Amino acid sequence: MTRFLDRVQGSRRGGETLHLDGERNRALETGRNRLLVTGAMFVLAFAVISGRLVEVTLFKGSANAAPHIAKSSADIGVERADVVDRNGVLLATSLPTVSLYAHPKEIGDKADAARKIASVLTDMSASDVQGKLRESRAFIYLRRNLTPRQEYDINALGIPGLYFEKGEKRIYPQGELTAHVVGLTDLDNKGIAGIERSEERELKGRHEPLRLSIDVRVQTILRNELVKAVTDFSAVGATGMVMDVRTGELVAMASLPDFNPNYLSSATPEAMFNRATLGVYEMGSTFKLFNTAAMLDDGVGTPTSTFDVTHPLEFAGFTIHDTHSLNKWATMSEILIESSNIGSARMAMELGIDRQREFLGRMGLLRPASVELPEIGAPLIPNPWREINSMTIAFGHGMAVTPLQMVTGVSALVNGGEFHQSTLLAHADGEAIPATRVVKRQTSEQLRQMMRLVVSEGTGDTADVPGYQVEGKTGSAEKSGAGGYRRKALLSSFIATFPGNDPRYVVLVMIDEPKGTKATYGLIQAHWNAAPAVGHIIAQIGPLLGLTPSPVDYDEPKKPALAVNAVAKGASLAEVE
Amino acid sequence: MLMAQHRSFQFSRSEMSLKEKLWHVSWSFVLLIAIVCSIGFMTLYSAANGHMDPWAARQMMHFTAGIAVMLAVAVVDIRSWMRWSYVLYGIALVLLVAVQIKGSVLKGGQRWIDFGFIQLQPSEIMKMTLVLALARYFHGASYQEVGRPLFLLPPVLMILLPVGLVLKQPDLGTAMMLAFSAAALLFLAGVRIWKFAIVIAAAGAAAPVAWKFMRDYQKNRILTFLNPESDPLGTGYHIFQSKIALGSGGVFGKGFMQGTQSHLNFLPEKQTDFIFTMFAEEWGMVGGVVLLALYTLILVYGYALSMKSRNHFGRLVGLGLTTTFFLYVFINIAMVMGLVPVVGVPLPLISYGGTAMLTLLFGFGLIMSVYIHRDVHIGRRGASDDV
Repeated sequence: MTRFLDRVQGSRRGGETLHLDGERNRALETGRNRLLVTGAMFVLAFAVISGRLVEVTLFKGSANAAPHIAKSSADIGVERADVVDRNGVLLATSLPTVSLYAHPKEIGDKADAARKIASVLTDMSASDVQGKLRESRAFIYLRRNLTPRQEYDINALGIPGLYFEKGEKRIYPQGELTAHVVGLTDLDNKGIAGIERSEERELKGRHEPLRLSIDVRVQTILRNELVKAVTDFSAVGATGMVMDVRTGELVAMASLPDFNPNYLSSATPEAMFNRATLGVYEMGSTFKLFNTAAMLDDGVGTPTSTFDVTHPLEFAGFTIHDTHSLNKWATMSEILIESSNIGSARMAMELGIDRQREFLGRMGLLRPASVELPEIGAPLIPNPWREINSMTIAFGHGMAVTPLQMVTGVSALVNGGEFHQSTLLAHADGEAIPATRVVKRQTSEQLRQMMRLVVSEGTGDTADVPGYQVEGKTGSAEKSGAGGYRRKALLSSFIATFPGNDPRYVVLVMIDEPKGTKATYGLIQAHWNAAPAVGHIIAQIGPLLGLTPSPVDYDEPKKPALAVNAVAKGASLAEVE
Repeated sequence: MLMAQHRSFQFSRSEMSLKEKLWHVSWSFVLLIAIVCSIGFMTLYSAANGHMDPWAARQMMHFTAGIAVMLAVAVVDIRSWMRWSYVLYGIALVLLVAVQIKGSVLKGGQRWIDFGFIQLQPSEIMKMTLVLALARYFHGASYQEVGRPLFLLPPVLMILLPVGLVLKQPDLGTAMMLAFSAAALLFLAGVRIWKFAIVIAAAGAAAPVAWKFMRDYQKNRILTFLNPESDPLGTGYHIFQSKIALGSGGVFGKGFMQGTQSHLNFLPEKQTDFIFTMFAEEWGMVGGVVLLALYTLILVYGYALSMKSRNHFGRLVGLGLTTTFFLYVFINIAMVMGLVPVVGVPLPLISYGGTAMLTLLFGFGLIMSVYIHRDVHIGRRGASDDV
């Protein structure tokens, strides 16, 4: 080869020596020019890359326009927008996936194909796959939501008749935590509960994440305490909420039992039942807050107005008892603090049916709550509304509302008297929040002083948190069962607001059928379970929500009842007033 | 600087002793290469988050071995290189064929031959031997001969065979480098401009056909090059991250070991093909320009040393290898900045990799040999004249 090539060159050289000189000059000339040209090209090329270097480092080139990877759902080609909490923590997101389907007719050796497929999709047996492939259908899904690895491996099998369908899978990174709020989607990626269902169109129409009012930190604390209560007291369920009284935003909402939205099978009807918004309950003594507020607001009574609670009240064949007899004339404050049913009933008689109904309507208790969830329960309202109904409603029986209505109503009572629509969507900064005045500011303040006494002196003492002056009301309603109310089956609840000097949040905990324990001396009233749970929650979320505990107690409301008590024993009603 | 090295010897340089030859090595050139390699060690140290393992230490070993190879190559007589050039080319060609048959598959392409103790990339050897073989072919060619189309047939075959084999591996980057450096050599050898025009036109006409035979990933790379933002998470990912990293470097960079894009592993292949990005993120535009200036200096040296040669073979070898080096630098840097498609070409002397380092230093050794033996006269018949 070497010699051959040299010879080829050599043989051509004969007879060319004549022109050697001119030729050599031309060759040299060419060589020099070419070198210059090559050199110039090098210089040019380096100039181009230097220029580009300056461009991308200084002017950042096209880099600026680009780095918004997967920020919005449009960028990664999924059609459902993310759901995030008020601070942007991801609650629900979509991953693009593929589903494997087959045209069985196009597959030759079905047994072989089935074996190969099963070797990749290890959770399917070859006989399963073969069974599916043998079905006499033109199209059949083999497996949904393959991982990219599985997709690659299936492709590598090279079986004809297998196809991939692009889809997306909904992922809920927080699992059970926000199950009832966010809800979930079915296999076809359609919302079937919660926000996923009610905001179906919104989620499909937008690219930016949907921001909820929920704060996952508060939500976590609330759910943990509910789980603990259900476990400790062997309860059948529980629900709880935290609402911002100034906006109506729900910062947390949980209901137990719950489910993991990542696993459709865990979403049984029982687990999916949202006690906070769908369940309607006779709330019991917490309802006395509305009764008292109505009296104060309509000027029918003052905190020191007294009512006879010495004897059980008999009316239209019913007898209304108190758990422990006060055996005296009690003030409205005392009636609330001691939670007297007789006193409440007498107050309602004074108030009258019409004013009672009108007031409860103002508090949003007679119409279904309005919140961005499909699971909304309608309140059970007596019809006709007779005097006896009025008397039982005064202490929270004979009428059933959802816990959400309760929280929304109490928020309006404690925030100075303005009613805000409850919402699960975060308000934008500076957004005007519609408010309706429902009670006088004075009513709100008087009621809160009484609620403070419930915690500082009464049944709610287990909910107090030093520095936050918790104000609240216990409720231990007997659940109705076959043939009347069941004394051993209570719906034990505590509704509270804090901080006491300037309420920001309302917290509700409701425990369904708590059992007595050694620590509670076998007792099951709210004082023993729901109230301490609320206390634990406030102690944790107060600092977290940026509320500084007040180092000294602001002037605590005096217990006016103490002064009245002494008088009431021997004095006439006229003297007291 | 070059002049300082230059000593005028009027007598034949063929009978120099080893000591004399070493004296004539352009040590300033060696120093320049060592400086660039040191920048490489430093960057690899940073790429491993401040560890000598797994890259910096081994790269230093590659460098040490490479310098030894370079000096060994440099002292070998230029006539020996000429004598053996066709043989070496033949061996490289055989190895390229062998890699097709028995190469181990790496990243989808067959590029390596495993000899047990060393993994060899025949395409790298081909980069050197193709230049040698072409230089030898054109060494004795007269102006008229170069003008004859038939005379150009053997060198064109010499180019097309390895280019085809490398394309089949498939390694678009190396194939491009082989073709371009060979074309540059032909250009310098005096092949008429219009012939290049014909080849370019033919290539243009063949492009649609080539497209048909391209692998999907190669098509994707070209499509991505044309519109990198079309697929930021797929094929465009490299370029995308690379541009972000370069942009985040700014004028003075984030500082040594402070490059976030690369240290947080956003930047792929940061120790090999995309090392320039990492370097520029940490040292900014200034660092990038300084590095480019160093490369330019190496190219100027390569050119100047080659031009000292009084024989055509030496000149062509030196110029051809310098051009190859230029292509390495240009293609790599243009690639990481999104000016050319992503084709796996390392940044010479800096990217991690033993084969590339050895090949490059081997090439510099040849340039050095050209320089040391600059006054050797080689007749038109080539090496056979001397015998």
